[in-house]
Amino acid sequence: MDLKIKRKSTRTAHSSNLLENYPHDLQMYKVPPIENIRLHEFETLALERLTLLRCLATATTLKGLRIYSNEWREFVLNELRSQGLKYYANLCDISGFGTSEADLQARRKDHIGHFILRLAYCRTEELRRWFVARELELFKLRFMTMKSEAVVEFFKINKLCYTNISEEEKNEIIGCLRESTMHQKVDSLKFYKVKFYEVLDLVKSRKVYIQGGYAYIPDKDFISVLSAQYRIHLKQSLVVACHHLGEIEQDERLVGLLKGLHQSYSGDDYSDTKVVVPIETLDSLSVKSFPLCMRQLHEQLRLSHHLKHGGRLQYGLFLKGIGVTLEDSLRFWRDEFTKIMDLDKFEKQYAYNIRYNYGKEGSKKNYSPFNCLKIINNNVGPGDCHGCPYRHCDPSNLKNRLKGYGIEHQALHDIVDMAKRGHFQIACSKYFDAAHNTELGLGINHPNQYFEESQKILKGENKVEIKKETKQTTIKKEQSKQMEDIDFDEISEWNE
Amino acid sequence: MVAHYDENLLSDMLPVYYTRLFPQNIFCRWLACGNSPQPLSNRELSFTLADDVYIRYLSISNQKEFQALLQKKCPYKLDIGAVYNNKPSISRHDAVVLARELVFDIDLTDYDEVRTCCQEAKVCDKCWKFMVIACEIIHTSLKDDFGFQNILWVFSGRRGIHCWVSDFEARTLDSPGRGAIADYLCLIIGGDNQNKKVHLGVDNLHSSIRRSIGIIDKYFDEVMLDQEFIGTPERLQKLLKMIPDETLRDIVENNLTKMPQSSLERWKSFVNIYDTYLRENGNAIRKIKYLLEEIKIQYCYPRLDVNVTKGFNHLLKSPFSIHPKTGKVSVVFKPNNARNMKLDEIPTIYTLLDDSSPDNVQHQNNMRSAVKIFQEVVFSLEKAEAMRRRNDANTTLEF
Repeated sequence: MDLKIKRKSTRTAHSSNLLENYPHDLQMYKVPPIENIRLHEFETLALERLTLLRCLATATTLKGLRIYSNEWREFVLNELRSQGLKYYANLCDISGFGTSEADLQARRKDHIGHFILRLAYCRTEELRRWFVARELELFKLRFMTMKSEAVVEFFKINKLCYTNISEEEKNEIIGCLRESTMHQKVDSLKFYKVKFYEVLDLVKSRKVYIQGGYAYIPDKDFISVLSAQYRIHLKQSLVVACHHLGEIEQDERLVGLLKGLHQSYSGDDYSDTKVVVPIETLDSLSVKSFPLCMRQLHEQLRLSHHLKHGGRLQYGLFLKGIGVTLEDSLRFWRDEFTKIMDLDKFEKQYAYNIRYNYGKEGSKKNYSPFNCLKIINNNVGPGDCHGCPYRHCDPSNLKNRLKGYGIEHQALHDIVDMAKRGHFQIACSKYFDAAHNTELGLGINHPNQYFEESQKILKGENKVEIKKETKQTTIKKEQSKQMEDIDFDEISEWNE
Repeated sequence: MVAHYDENLLSDMLPVYYTRLFPQNIFCRWLACGNSPQPLSNRELSFTLADDVYIRYLSISNQKEFQALLQKKCPYKLDIGAVYNNKPSISRHDAVVLARELVFDIDLTDYDEVRTCCQEAKVCDKCWKFMVIACEIIHTSLKDDFGFQNILWVFSGRRGIHCWVSDFEARTLDSPGRGAIADYLCLIIGGDNQNKKVHLGVDNLHSSIRRSIGIIDKYFDEVMLDQEFIGTPERLQKLLKMIPDETLRDIVENNLTKMPQSSLERWKSFVNIYDTYLRENGNAIRKIKYLLEEIKIQYCYPRLDVNVTKGFNHLLKSPFSIHPKTGKVSVVFKPNNARNMKLDEIPTIYTLLDDSSPDNVQHQNNMRSAVKIFQEVVFSLEKAEAMRRRNDANTTLEF
């Protein structure tokens, strides 16, 4: 499907044709483009689309703006304009169904750019998720700003027919609608009835009234229905695109370009390590070089000789990542667990999982250690002590723990403050600085990265005692380098 | 009480139990119906044998095969998995999961933070009340909110309950769908490092939360009496840690420590202090608008193991299997009767197979009524399935 892009086509694009193909600023990207384009344009459109998506990612992760808020939207639009992507800014600002040549051209670029990036981002599961998350943000951003006549037109073009519930039906449940719908003036809104699984994001966050399997949504919430459909469609299309990659890659000019596009996102996943860390050193390492999340798990394990499943997974994979061998790992867990259970029980119930982490059981995948986002997003329930301490600890508990570790007053205050404001990774970075007596301001995005950076300092690979001016520049450099590596994957999901 | 819970007897007793008492016929019909349109043989069963040997990817195509397999392997534990695109023994790791009941697992160990009567594997009739509340809240939500009809409740054999939803829509729901339902139902969030695990915000309470609090209120005083949530200085500290407003916290601490130890009395005066405080400090409302509701929820609201619900192919203990540690039968029960269940009235394999046991007659009766409830659920599921297929056939004809 997507490959048609480079096939010869005798059709030339007239504007009448454009109008037919691109009646509306907002598209569902159901049909791939079929026209001939120059390689140069191909490249430009791809890069422009990439800039757009990265801009969305920046707004949410680096700037820490609340997703879909006004400030977030302003930031994105301004950023697009300053990057010279006016046409995207216009498409995103107030999407409509104008027919000017500029409108049509913008939509055409939007269309082609989207399909090129599909090819670049279909390669791995991780890339796909990043791409889907960004495209969905874009879709929602554009839908939100649409005027109501544009919405009506959009529904007509995409043949989406829904009828609203009658006044009588609405009056029967009006109390519940008022209570459970997150909008002002519920009484004046028209409500529609859809199956609950069409608006999972609203169900999940309890922002919709559901009864008998149906969700009652006002027209504004249709974005949930559409984005759910769009997400499924996009996911499937990426799988299809991936199957056809071989055909495209026969053209070397495209291979280099497409592969180059996403390079900056393939950070280390720490699933292969060369160094070997003996388990006898873990106690001292946990004090010196473990991030708080791992130190907490280590201490809990030593204290209660047990960790629940989530903790074993998070800590076990981390240990693998820093270079603890399978044999050592088995010995380490066995020594602790057998203090409260007999060897037989350990071998039967727990040893399997340890070998599994090392890719020796089950599907035999070599699992990589969790990165910060995964840890932050993890489910942490009663009895669990895994997760990210900056997110999953009460401020008072966090404070006590840090105090116990001898973190001095000012640093402690900064760390807790960052954690309170939801900047968990920055809090972690501040903890790093406090623990190592530095001011690196690293962007921490992986516990194993924390560990490696710490080891570098302890082994004297990083010159910490640099003069003031040079230090400033190093900080900046470090920051920008690290930020590039941050995995923006599905960031929107936990911001919602 | 029964004289011996001797695990070593199990290997002799289980074959008899499986042949004489396990409702094989109705069990196979339940599974077959839950598989439709896939054949029964595509369902994964897994056995744990006497020496903890664990066998996955088993399957049966009819009752006869089931009986033969039970006799051959004599499983100590019997788990049910998902429905695959093929016989599970054939494709194994490449198999695709096509369907699976929507399941919920609630375990009393997750209540250890709040329950004061027992800890860990221990249970008593006092903490069973947590299960009664959990069952009522979840059952109501599944029926009223999500419109599910075919819901089976099962005692897990030791310290919890399981729920199986067999509606077609539920069985074919994908993992994001299951995740959304789990999150919708899950109000208590946070690990051992968070004291206050419920945050309801300041907006209107969602209808479902309001309804749940109504259910909790029916039991709250009773549970407060049983559990004495704030009867000792340490327990009172736990309550205080849930109060985010420092001034209010201090007032409550001062007043409650001076009072007699009865938790119910203390709670009542806490409610009074809270009301007065809110009236006098209008601006405090942002932080503590739903404080009472939040605390009630933290004490009593169901604590789901969400990973079991979210996972598409999590194995779950079968109804009517025997819990190897307690010997208890995983009986099916009616949600509206959960309240009247007594833990020592739940039949065990030992009392059922021993006519000299003083509990034998009562347990036999209870076993029979549990099977009857199971039958009723399966009959109505079969009816619903037949109706769905007829509707499907009609719609296809129209085109």
